[in-house]
Parts: sequence; structure tokens; C-alpha cells
Amino acid sequence: MTQPILSGDIYDAIIVGSGAGGGMAAYSLTRAGAKCLMLEAGDWYDTAKDSKWLQWGYDAPHRGESKTPYGPGGFEAVVGGYNVEGEPYTCATGTDWKWFRSRMLGGRTNAWGRISLRNGPYDFKPYSRDGKGFDWPITYEELAPYYDKTEELIGVFGSVEGLENLPDGKFQPPPTPRCYELLIQKTCKDLKIPCIPSRLAILTRALNDRPACHYVSQCNRGCRMGSNFSSPEVLLYPAQLTGNLEIRCGAMAREVLMGPDGRATGVSYIDKKSGEEVQARGKVIVLAASACETARLLLNSRNARFPDGLANSSGLVGRYLMDTVMSDVTGWIPSLMHLPAHNEDGVGGMHLFMPWWNYRQQLQGKLPFSRGYHIEIGGGRRGMPAPGLMTGSETLLGGGYGKALKQRSRSLYGSLVGFHGRGEMIPNPQSYCEIDKTVVDQWGIPVLKFHFQWSDEEIHMARHMQETFQQIVETMGGKTIESYGEKDQWGISAGGVGFHEVGGARMGSDPKTSVLNSHCQAWDCKNLFVTDGAPFVSLSDKNPTLTILALAWRTSEYITAQVRAQSV
Amino acid sequence: MRGIEEKTVLPNRTLRFQRRAMLKMMMTLPIAGLLPLSSLAAEVAQSLPDASATHEGASPWKLRILTPHEWATVGVLSDWVLPADEISGSATDAGVPEFIDDWLDFQRGDLLAEIREGLAWLDVECNRNYKQNFLDCSSTQQQQILDRIAWPENAAPQDARAVRFFNQFRDLTLSGFYTSEMGVRDLPYLGNQPQAEWRGCPTAVLAKLGV
Repeated sequence: MTQPILSGDIYDAIIVGSGAGGGMAAYSLTRAGAKCLMLEAGDWYDTAKDSKWLQWGYDAPHRGESKTPYGPGGFEAVVGGYNVEGEPYTCATGTDWKWFRSRMLGGRTNAWGRISLRNGPYDFKPYSRDGKGFDWPITYEELAPYYDKTEELIGVFGSVEGLENLPDGKFQPPPTPRCYELLIQKTCKDLKIPCIPSRLAILTRALNDRPACHYVSQCNRGCRMGSNFSSPEVLLYPAQLTGNLEIRCGAMAREVLMGPDGRATGVSYIDKKSGEEVQARGKVIVLAASACETARLLLNSRNARFPDGLANSSGLVGRYLMDTVMSDVTGWIPSLMHLPAHNEDGVGGMHLFMPWWNYRQQLQGKLPFSRGYHIEIGGGRRGMPAPGLMTGSETLLGGGYGKALKQRSRSLYGSLVGFHGRGEMIPNPQSYCEIDKTVVDQWGIPVLKFHFQWSDEEIHMARHMQETFQQIVETMGGKTIESYGEKDQWGISAGGVGFHEVGGARMGSDPKTSVLNSHCQAWDCKNLFVTDGAPFVSLSDKNPTLTILALAWRTSEYITAQVRAQSV
Repeated sequence: MRGIEEKTVLPNRTLRFQRRAMLKMMMTLPIAGLLPLSSLAAEVAQSLPDASATHEGASPWKLRILTPHEWATVGVLSDWVLPADEISGSATDAGVPEFIDDWLDFQRGDLLAEIREGLAWLDVECNRNYKQNFLDCSSTQQQQILDRIAWPENAAPQDARAVRFFNQFRDLTLSGFYTSEMGVRDLPYLGNQPQAEWRGCPTAVLAKLGV
């Protein structure tokens, strides 16, 4: 390697990653007056310029198929995927793990479900409740003020329900349900499953200089109006306006640099454009590179003092990796056929969902799994038709060809609904990532090797999802089109496919059994903090982004207070 | 400090100004509901890369991966799958063969191999039975071949591979047709129209659903 370039300034903070966690750290720290440098491995992406919003699929290459971006972000606002050229990873024998990497400004906040559910009181103390997994070092009450602030800043719609372990938030009014959602809601009422307005980070009322949604269901294509939450729109651009934030894109972090006193002194990164190694110096280092990239950075930052990686004296960096348990059913609902044609786009996500409803039965030991799941729904006439819309026509339409097939396709359109179970995985010691001993990426940075296993808990949960969704479809007078049984492990997803990989640098109250303290500060290195999903101790069924944001805000305020008190 | 490109780019102010202007326009519309899409669409179209170079509707079509003979067979076959009726035109009217040629070139792999094998199978079977290629067969003869493979539940076991091919081909034709402008109007998909407000499920549909 040639001599690295030493970047001139010493920043108050260097933030690695520009997604939810990095964005919130930048927002909070720059407003407190800290000069921050943000390193993002991907390129610049600006929805106001780069999004293909409103473009028809038939005007785009391959009808908008998003696997091949043409220009920044492609048809959807996604740069990245399971396979990123020049950036491999490996899996241990028997492990089926898919690692989604986002490589763009704003990371995964550009294209995501925008489902914004608070963790409830049980979700912070799962071990205390059922003796499985681990407790967080903080309570719901400690994070609640940050959930409040986050929702007010980013804009989340929802309804006040007062349900068990589903804390209500500071909501904008929810959009009224779509036709098929009302039918599902009616059925759920009969089955005693709660079906309530969803909680999404999409504006139904103008907020600051962001207008309300215009209802074309294209959040994931990059909203040109800025009506949904993404890190650049809501956090990074306002942070830039303070004059305290410098963003360097195309900067792939290699390792955290350390001084002789054991403090972190900066980050060494590859400037992807020039191929040069650059060392940026900072007084505080904030890692928000995504849970596994953060673990990788820590494990790759070794010296005589930290031979097993930085902040890893517990040996827990990379350990207790988790992802959301997923299983889906598609149903064909005859009563949705032959309806007057109508525009069902709505917001870029479901208007209703079903939160977990069996806490009591679980506590009484009546279910063969210990944690909850919620149900996400889709279907009807929502969204622009895309390739694959009638895949499986031999089953869906009974085969055939000709005018009769055309008529059947037309009638079928809008009558399919999807039920998507999203549940909690209990962390297990068989699920972790480590540094592969031989493989490196295109810049010579050692890559991750994954180990991942579901336990019986998750398999039993997937079975419950399948049985419940099939029951809902049948009660709706429909027929299950796509479902799974025992031989397919009840349709349980491969690890990583949930895009919710968290853990790997967990918080705790004991340095022997955790990587970070209750403020996401490394036990071993006082000026090193983590604000992405890596600090998660458990992964409830609630989608992680809102908790990442709230926790990052709390951590950032702690950093500011510690710096002011000269404790860091 | 040397060699580092400072990549601090401020958000695009002009576009954000346009957004506010659009918002203002949305709010002053006489009827809250469907927007005049023209100004929004024009703004978007202006900034999009020119798709015409890759647009399947462009003519004459330059074949991407199909041979001229395969191309001709795909045309006839896709019109068997989706012919014109009183509501919309045929698969070829909607540019389905162009879609299939592009899609197979894009996907390659097993899908391409399966489609190639199936198209060849049609000729082999037609030559065995009628001493000519599928394209040269009469409508009745073509239909006889299709009836062997279009109904998976009634098909003979020895035709299983051809049935699988036709399932794939039917899927491809449906994908190509219903993602085309003609297909979108046929369904019809009424979205991709910015709304000043969301008004939920129409009364007529509510009544029919009984919710």
C-alpha cells in the first residue's frame, strides 16, 4: 500500500454511513455546533434530481425492472443489493444468508417500507418477560421522549389505539383504507385479530417545507416532493445548512484508527474515485455503516492493544446477529373481482395492518413460540403493473390461451391480496458474522463470513403465520394461491432477506457481556459510538428504523453532553 | 491536504423551489382531486434520461437475442396467447415480441434456454405431424399443437417440458402485455396520477363489497 494521505482538518466527529443512524447523528451533532465529517461508501443521490418518479414502466428499460440501475438509482431509488460488484462476502456451510448493501447517499432510507412502529415496554425487557434472549439496558420510558421527537421531526401517520405493547406516538392523521383493506379489516373483526391504521413515515399533512403525500404509491422510487422520510431530505440537507457538515461520498471505510492511549483518532478510508487511502481525523467517531458493516469495521480495526478488533474485549462483536422472521401467503378473493375500476395507489405502503394480538396466550404457554409478529398487507389494484404480475398463470388463470385467457386476466386483476408475517427472532449464539480468513474485497479489506440459523421458535412462528393467513383468506371466501407447509419450513425466509439485520455490537450494562454501554458508547473506547442497528439487543416484530433514529438521537445528545463536560 | 475531492454538494435549490411552486398549484386547484398531470409530468420528463433508445415501441426493432425465425414464431405464438378483442389489441399490437426479445436478453440463463427449447419443440412437433414448421402450419394445426401443451392438467406426461415452456411463455406474454400502455389501459390501472387528497374507496365499490 502507498503512503496514506492525511486529511488536514481534525473534525469534532466523523460519522461513517449516511442512512438513518448516521443521518440522525449528523442532524443532532451539527445543530449542537460540532464540525462533522460524514463518510458514505456510495455516490451522491438527490431525489429531487435523480428520481424516476411518475415515469411509466413502459417508458423505462426492461419495463422498470430495478435490478439494473440506469443512472443513479434506476427505476427505484435503490443502488446496491445482495450482490455488490467487488464487495463479496462468504457464508459458512449450511448458512443461507443474504446481505443487502446500500451504496448511495441516505442508504436504505431511500427505499424502505417506512413502517414506523415503536418498540413497546416488553420489547426492551424480553428476557425478564419469558426468560429467553436478553434485556436491553434501557427501558421504553427512557427512549419514549426520543420517539416523540423523532416522529415530530420526520412525520409519521397513525392512530391512537392504546393497545398492549404497541405505544401510540405523535401521529399525523392516517389515510382512509383502500377497498380490499376494508374487506380484510371486516374479516379480521370476525376473527378477533386487530386491524388498525398503519404507522408510516409519510406525510398526510404538510410539515416544515415538505408537502403532504400526493398518493401515487411510489415512495420507493424516491419522492420528488420529499413527502416521505429519507435521511438526506429530512436530516442531511438541514444538517448541511448549519454549515457544520461535510459529506464525502465514494468513501469506503477500512478501519478505525487508534492512538497509543487507546482512543480512536480517526477513520482510514478508500477514496473510491482515486483509489487512494485517506486518513481522516476526528475527536469522536460514530459508526453507522449498517449493523454488519459496523461489526466488520470494528473487527478489522486491530492493533497490539486490541488484537481481536476494536471494542471487542467481550468477544461479542459480530455476535447475536438477528433478522426479521418472514412468511407470506397470497390469496385470491372472488368478491374483489368485477368491481368498478378505481385508483387504489394511495401512499407508498399499506393503510392498515395487524399488530400482534396473542401476548396473553403466550404468557399462559398456549403457543409453541414466545414472541410476536405483525401482519402487513398488500394487493388489490395498488401500484403500477410490473413484469411478473401474472406469474404462475397456469395456476392463477388455469392455463389456456386466447380471448378467454384475456378475459380471465382482466377479471383476476385486483382480486389478489398478500399477507406478510413479520416477526421477532430470538438471538442465538449460532448466528453471527466474523472476518473471513482468506477473502478480501476489491480494496483488500477482509470481508465478512456469515453464520446463521433459525431456531424452532422461529419455525413455529412461521407455521402460525401460514395457518393464520390461510384462515383469513378462507374466511374472506377466497382461495390460497401461494402458501407453504412443513416441507418448506412454513415458508420462512432466508436470513438477511428481511433487510432488518441488527445486532453485532449490542448494548448492555456489563462490559463482559456487551460491546456498548447504555448510551451506545464502546466500553473499551470512550470516544467511539455506534448509532445504526448494531447496538440492538433484540429485534422485536417492529421494524427497526424508528428505533434506530430515536436511539441515534439519544446517543448524539449524550455525545454532546459528554464533550461539553469534557468527559470524552 | 492534497488529492481529495471535497464532495460537499448542497441540495438542489432550484428543484426544491419548483416543488414548492407545484405544491402551491396543487392547493389552488378548483377541484381537489385529479391534478392536471401535464405540468408535473413535463417537469419529470425533462429531467429523465431519454428512454427512447431502449423503448420497446421504437421501430424498426433491432433483434437483441432472438433469431429472425424465433422472432417470427414468438409473434404468432404471443398473438395466440393474447389476441385482439373488443377492449384492446393483440400481443403484437402491444409490443409483446419486442418485450420478450429484450427480457430474454436481459435475463438470459435458464429462462432463455427454456424458451429456445420450447420454440424449437414447436417446429419439431409440427414437422413430425404436418411436415412443416409451426409458422407454416394452418391455424387449425397450430391450435392442435397448442391444445396439447396449454392445459397443464390435461397434458400428456411426455409433453411435460413443452408444457413448462408454454407456462413460461404465457407468463412472459402476460407480463409484456399488461405492463405496456395498451395493457395498462385494458386492466385498467388508473393510478400513477398525483392526487391533491386521498379520498379512499369509492362509494360504488363500498356498496358492492358491503363494507
